[in-house]
Amino acid sequence: MIWTLIQREILTNLMTFRFFVTVIACMSLVIAGTVVLTDNYERRLASYNADFQTHQERTFIAKTYSSFRAEIDRAPNPLSLFNQGLDKRAKNSIRIRIGKVPFLWDNVYQHQSTGFNNPFRHLLADIDLVSIFQILLSLLALVFAYDAIAGDRENGTLRLILANPVGRGIVILGKYVGAIVCLTLPFLISFLFALLLQLQSSAIQYTVDDFLRIGGILLTTIVYISTFYLIGLFISSMVHHTATSLIVSMFIWVTLTLLYPNVSLFLVNRLIDTEEKIEQVNREIEQVSERYYRDEQKLRDPFESPSLLKGSIGSGGSRGYLHLSKNLTYIPNESERNIPAVKAYFQDLTSLHIRAAETIWRIRKNAFAETYIRKSRIARNALRFSPAGLYHLSTEAWAGTDIARMEHFFETGRQYRQRVLDYFHDKKAFSSRQWFASDKGAVRWDDAPRFTYHPPDVFEDASSRALPDLFLLSLLNLVLFITTFMIFSRQEV
Amino acid sequence: MLWHIVKRELFEQASSLRFAIAMLLTVFLMIVNALGHIDEYKTQQAEYGQKVAESLRELEQKSSNLYNLVLRGPGELHKMPSSLSFCAHGSENNLPSFISGRYSGWNWGGRSGLWRLKYDAFPPITATDIFPIFLKIDWTLIISSVLSFLSLIFTFDAISGEVEHGTLRLTLSNSVARRTVLTGKFLSSLISLGVVLLSGVLINLLLLHLSGTLQLNAQEWSRITGIFVVGMMYISVFIALGLFVSTLTNNASTSLVILLLTWVIWVILVPSMVGTIMSGINLPSIDHGPSPVFFARNGLLERYKERGLDEAPTRTRPPTPATLLWAEFMDEEAQEWKRLNKEFLNAQIYQIQVARDFNRISPTAILQYTIESFAGTGFQRYLNFMKNAENYETDFNAFLISADRADPDSLHVPFVREGMSDKPVSFESIPKFQDRLRLEDAFKEAILDVMLLFLFFVVLFAGAHVSFQRKEI
Repeated sequence: MIWTLIQREILTNLMTFRFFVTVIACMSLVIAGTVVLTDNYERRLASYNADFQTHQERTFIAKTYSSFRAEIDRAPNPLSLFNQGLDKRAKNSIRIRIGKVPFLWDNVYQHQSTGFNNPFRHLLADIDLVSIFQILLSLLALVFAYDAIAGDRENGTLRLILANPVGRGIVILGKYVGAIVCLTLPFLISFLFALLLQLQSSAIQYTVDDFLRIGGILLTTIVYISTFYLIGLFISSMVHHTATSLIVSMFIWVTLTLLYPNVSLFLVNRLIDTEEKIEQVNREIEQVSERYYRDEQKLRDPFESPSLLKGSIGSGGSRGYLHLSKNLTYIPNESERNIPAVKAYFQDLTSLHIRAAETIWRIRKNAFAETYIRKSRIARNALRFSPAGLYHLSTEAWAGTDIARMEHFFETGRQYRQRVLDYFHDKKAFSSRQWFASDKGAVRWDDAPRFTYHPPDVFEDASSRALPDLFLLSLLNLVLFITTFMIFSRQEV
Repeated sequence: MLWHIVKRELFEQASSLRFAIAMLLTVFLMIVNALGHIDEYKTQQAEYGQKVAESLRELEQKSSNLYNLVLRGPGELHKMPSSLSFCAHGSENNLPSFISGRYSGWNWGGRSGLWRLKYDAFPPITATDIFPIFLKIDWTLIISSVLSFLSLIFTFDAISGEVEHGTLRLTLSNSVARRTVLTGKFLSSLISLGVVLLSGVLINLLLLHLSGTLQLNAQEWSRITGIFVVGMMYISVFIALGLFVSTLTNNASTSLVILLLTWVIWVILVPSMVGTIMSGINLPSIDHGPSPVFFARNGLLERYKERGLDEAPTRTRPPTPATLLWAEFMDEEAQEWKRLNKEFLNAQIYQIQVARDFNRISPTAILQYTIESFAGTGFQRYLNFMKNAENYETDFNAFLISADRADPDSLHVPFVREGMSDKPVSFESIPKFQDRLRLEDAFKEAILDVMLLFLFFVVLFAGAHVSFQRKEI
């Protein structure tokens, strides 16, 4: 019996005008969107490649240990085509310095690999595939659902169906499955087209991991469609006229997809104040730096008069919190006897410096967690009250463009810095002559640790962030389905 | 007869569920908007005042020597914040809030060029950006998406619903022209939505006024009136669209489905896609390659070196050929730099303008741009600010020359150190930069867009009339 019902639903839905519109709208928007997004991604990738090249050339050219510098890059994520998240906005290259712990908080400089040279372009809106789906598919789901029960009741066909020996649960299930098939079909076709178009581009190469993620996005989208269909079905079972059902559905749609997410974010952003905390932290950091400068004063600077390294030639300055690098290319013989003192100076200075950097980092890390991270977490939790928000957050995690991923990149950067420091320890670099002078030969970086970024795999992202949100969305589905069923089974037809 | 129909429709609408929801939604959003913007303008104004004062203080310090002003310019020129940013935020957080007039950035043999305007103060991306992206709840958003949506909800069954119920036949059996019926329906929807918008606007303004955020003067009132009128025109476009589609179908649900899909595409998706696509396809050139300015300057230097730029200018009177050559070089370099920089900037601006022009196929984009013009925010406002800064640059340089003229000890060979006065300048006589918002600018910018909106309206309304005339009932 259920098969007959499903078949009937599918056939009646396929023949309708709205199905035709769904197919056309999905296809045209998704294809247009993919073309732009692919082009955009290609630019970003090209600009990343160029940056990566220059950074590679500049890393490990230092002649001394103290002038070590490296710059590490995060490749743009091709899945940002689906949900761009923070991929484009967050910083995509980190400078690794001995005296600074890399951190997400640091400003991104003007130079940013968006692939566009025109800063005014930020004025133009970008849209990703998930936002197209989010708006379009939810609307279509409601359009399919508004007359599912109310319409049949109006026409009298509902009585006719129920006159057969068929349970009400079966009727609802039949309608649900039939409509979901009809809604998923155009979505799947356009999704496949989008994927094919993306694969045409030489810039985009998906790995197995990426395909699993895309599968996750696909699954979440289907659950999302089903949520909105069930909302429509729920309304349809509650009211008696299709027209009322449609109007109510539309108001709910506007509220859930457009108004609620924006209003809640607008208010959270406005009402949660972070400035006071930030100021306090800046004062704390000021104090740490001051203490550092005082301690630095206590050490005897070998370059101040009377200079220990009289007559030496070189570049770079040692004073100040930010500068540590020093490269002496010539040290006269008569100053040679002062070398141990200089070595001791640099050893002390560097350890002071590293300690100060780490203290500052800890302060900033805590402050960051209490301000920006907290604010963004509240915002994300507020979003979770709308299925559209859940969908957005879950796909963001699947795509790996959310804040956790950006944090992960910085964490890897910090680990890399630690590895470099450990390497320096092993080499006894801090107390070596090559720390500050390259006159007896430059540092050889052959066995120095190299950086490669491996993003976490899909299971990690899915289990910690994508699946919980997907689960919430599914739970909402279940609740809606059961409520609709209860209402429908108690109703007079 | 027309008023009879309008009255009937108005009574019907005022008692309907959708009118109640529309009212609630609009008023609620307007309250949210007011809450979100309390004290915002005050903070911005205070910040602006502080920055202007700081930049004037710096200018005062520089004025101890005329040549110092030639080299270092007037400092940062700040953009005045708009008191109506709650009407349209205009992506101000992506636009520079100042243009700096500073040091030329080149140094050749201890000499530097004339100061110049630099437009690169785009706000950096900061930690605040980890916050999810959202649309700011301003009047633009409320009118462009919520009220347009409501217009469709108000009109989708105007004709098709009455056809379904058979009441349309009844109405037309009276001696009433079809166009009167349609116009009556149009007017009644416009009036009810006008009431909705007006109540929202008034509550919003009242809240902002009571909280002490807003003290409106005559100019601002006319801006707000402009915004309201444009908003009503935009609503008329969507009412006409609703009526048009409603006459095309015999079933209210079908007409709503068509309308909603049109709405999603026209209002939500087109403005965020079309312009981006077109600007990307059209003008790839400026997104590649470095700015040409640097190379041009090197070429210029080489050319002048051949003519003997190596010889230093002197203070001997009358000016030596070397002094004059330097003056010529400094002048040409400044002009050339300005020209090339302008060219590059214009190419960037052109790219955005192309995108905006293409976006204008959606009335939503038109509405947004118009409200931004009236509110004094956004891209167009930034361009005006740039123009103000450029005018000031001319004034400032003219002042430098005239101040030099006033010094009898100077050689009057502008922009060469040896050829100019190095006496202190009276701070009061230096022209100060004053950014201004001009009402004429707003109206001038808006006029074309308003006409375009009107065109949309005329086409849709005429379409509705034609299709209604031909409709079998």
